[in-house]
Amino acid sequence: MFLEVKNIVKSFHNEAVVRDLNFSLDAHKTLSILGKSGCGKTTMLKIVAGLENADAGTISLGGKNIDNVKPGKRNVVYLYQEDLLFPHLNIFENIAFGLRIKKFPEKEIVEKVNAMVESLELNGQETKMPHQLSGGQRQRVSFGRAIITSPSLLLLDEPFGSLDAGTRQRMQEFFKSLTAKYQITSLFVTHDLKEAILMGDEIAFMQSGRLKVYKDKTDFINDPVTGVQNEIGFWENLIPGKVERETLRK
Amino acid sequence: MKFSWKPFILTLLVVLIVFPFAYMVLLSMASEWRFPDVLPNYFGLRNWTQIFSSETGLISSFVLSIVISLSVAFTSTLSGFLISRSVSYHPRKRLFTLLTYFPYILAPVVFAACLSYFFLMTGLFGSATGVIVAQFMIAFPYALIFFSSFWNERIRQYEELTATLGGNRRQTFLKVLLPLAKGMLLICFFQTFLISWFEYGLTSIIGVGKVQTLTIKVFLFIKEANFYYGALSCCLLIFPPVLLLYINKRYVFNKLI
Repeated sequence: MFLEVKNIVKSFHNEAVVRDLNFSLDAHKTLSILGKSGCGKTTMLKIVAGLENADAGTISLGGKNIDNVKPGKRNVVYLYQEDLLFPHLNIFENIAFGLRIKKFPEKEIVEKVNAMVESLELNGQETKMPHQLSGGQRQRVSFGRAIITSPSLLLLDEPFGSLDAGTRQRMQEFFKSLTAKYQITSLFVTHDLKEAILMGDEIAFMQSGRLKVYKDKTDFINDPVTGVQNEIGFWENLIPGKVERETLRK
Repeated sequence: MKFSWKPFILTLLVVLIVFPFAYMVLLSMASEWRFPDVLPNYFGLRNWTQIFSSETGLISSFVLSIVISLSVAFTSTLSGFLISRSVSYHPRKRLFTLLTYFPYILAPVVFAACLSYFFLMTGLFGSATGVIVAQFMIAFPYALIFFSSFWNERIRQYEELTATLGGNRRQTFLKVLLPLAKGMLLICFFQTFLISWFEYGLTSIIGVGKVQTLTIKVFLFIKEANFYYGALSCCLLIFPPVLLLYINKRYVFNKLI
């Protein structure tokens, strides 16, 4: 397995936030993790990114143990709900940021950024400042800035949480095509049930610091704790018989 | 048409605000102006040309004040920015923030009197370095309090993002934090410069009359009843803050709004 997380435990002030975390993920796959606010999702991602130290457990990436590797050397990029574009840099420089701090040659930076701008469908926007873009465009720049550095693992912490429903749907589709094109391995954290099912090749549910990874999506849908059955029940009450068939078909 | 008092009141207010400054400039250009003369016996640039004579010591005081204020503003802004980060992210942030208010509990003169023993023992009494250190002790807590609002959750996220993108602490500081804080740094520099520039109590006690900044000089002229030189040194005293205010307004405030 490309990413292997074993027996991770983390507490804050004697309160267990992450309990005995175990999961693994193949390269170029996305594991979507569903969980309510405060269930330990963000802490888990921060431990994988090296931004928080685990109390116990080990993480290996690409066959190498990364427990003592600093965040900057892990090649794991963490993306927040906010796009966090640098307000003092234009779109080109925002995307080029990771390459510049890794001291890539100027010619290579220009080539890579131009190709990324093309992939992000942001042609002609390179010289604009972040405040001149829409929420969806800013989030695309944020993805581009992360992906251009060829991260081994991308960690996404509710990246579409601040977008409206329409933009969110477009961004979900866009993200799927982008991960396929650049063969990204990612952990996608969300509290949106539909988004969790749509975005992941594999799916997991986190509750009170414990993570349960499901064999497949049907297994996830049939588990009452995930809330899918409640959701189906809700819609079935409105349109009897139709919803369950359509949800399972997806 | 309805009569309005508004323009008259506004004009009166402008005149009231501008008059002391205009009168000070006029006074700095006058001499031998005795009661009951309506106009001074001499009106010209003679006093201003005297700035460059060593007798008044105004030019040396001006340069010394500039050096002291720039040193205090630079060191307190930079160290305040860096140390406020540690304070803001510390688990005991509230305690440390409370301690930063300590220098303001006492009047600067009392504060200086309390510290004078230590300045005497370290040989800093009566020296420009001593005055810089003393003024730093007032300006630095101000910078700490000023920057505490900068270090919030969003800035921490920027730092973490930069780290995961491969940046080290130096790169994060130079390429992310400094540009993000540019506006606040300039405002803090301006404010701490002003704190130092107009500081009298601390400077007079720690400087013991040997370190004659422009503010000290103004009081000396006034004590000597030399209003013309007093007005002249006040003009000099106002010039750098006005220049800094202009720079701030032109390059900082307009961009922040």
